[in-house]
Amino acid sequence: MEIMRLVVTGPVGAGKSTFIRSVSEIDVVDTDRRATDEASLLKPKTTVAFDFGRLQFSPDMALHLYGTPGQARFDFMWDILIRRAHAYMLLVAAHRPREFHYARRILSFMQRRSRAPLIIGLTHTDQPGTWDEENILIALGFPNPDRHPPIVSVDATEAGSVAVAIMTLLQHYSQVQQRNVEQPAPHR
Amino acid sequence: MAINVEKLNTLLQNFVSATSDVEGAALVTPDGLPLATSLPGGMDDERVSAMSAAMLSLGERIGSELARGSIDRIYVEGTHGYGVLTSCAEDAVFLVLANRSAKLGVLMLEIKRAIAELKLVLM
Ligand SMILES: Nc1nc2c(ncn2[C@@H]2O[C@H](COP(=O)(O)OP(=O)(O)OP(=O)(O)O)[C@@H](O)[C@H]2O)c(=O)[nH]1
Ligand SMILES: [Mg+2]
Repeated sequence: MEIMRLVVTGPVGAGKSTFIRSVSEIDVVDTDRRATDEASLLKPKTTVAFDFGRLQFSPDMALHLYGTPGQARFDFMWDILIRRAHAYMLLVAAHRPREFHYARRILSFMQRRSRAPLIIGLTHTDQPGTWDEENILIALGFPNPDRHPPIVSVDATEAGSVAVAIMTLLQHYSQVQQRNVEQPAPHR
Repeated sequence: MAINVEKLNTLLQNFVSATSDVEGAALVTPDGLPLATSLPGGMDDERVSAMSAAMLSLGERIGSELARGSIDRIYVEGTHGYGVLTSCAEDAVFLVLANRSAKLGVLMLEIKRAIAELKLVLM
């Protein structure tokens, strides 16, 4: 049985824990605690270690889904989780532009530690004030429309939508694997 | 609810200086923010607080997953000493750092006493 470890990261309230709860087949390991920081303005609880869920993707592949905390004070958890990830997703609430800069910081933290393939997931696109993909990509540091990670809209509360996002991540992962086989990266 | 932070800080400082072999202590919120700290120099309050919350949350989860019931404390024993985490009332986590020569039994008793005092201020 192959196990793929997928990490879901992003700012507070992006929907990381909800995302994992929506598709996990096991009772999600949840380390949400009462929020006393800015997170409490958005919701009552916040993740303090990680979320863990599992999804049997095919008879011979199981997905292990890890959600990170959102706040930078937990960056030691980001570090632990990203180093073991096969692929990851940056979730960003598309209607909270003030967090885009912070999302970009999370991304560069991850990219300094991991070369795993990533995609961007936009949540809350049903909300008023949603930015469009193009502008969000620019805000996240991808000004070139031909060079950016795959980007999808996802409603973290909808199992079907989350499944599509996971499929996109897996497809991207296998494309990157394929490319690496065809043109192996130089040793560094 | 206003927590008397000054009082908490004084209690922690007294605890650290009066308890032999204790090097530092912190009282943090369950979501990992410092309420009051008296830590060795060079240790970052924010980081220590976040780690304490993460560790206690995982410990509690492991406790229930492995059918150990509710968790009284979590402790880490390293070559340089101990780190003991105890939940303190509903809204706080108490972390104590002690050096290698600490006697565990005595330390646990002192922690229990300190928690009783801290709880009075937290209420
Ligand atoms: N309207 C709407 N709500 C969403 C969507 N995705 C997630 N949510 C809601 O947004 C909130 C996200 O909360 P969490 O899943 O706890 O967020 P998190 O990213 O785990 O946050 P931290 O653990 O605090 O970093 C929940 O209340 C979800 O129901 C979406 O696409 N649309
Ligand atoms: Mg969460």
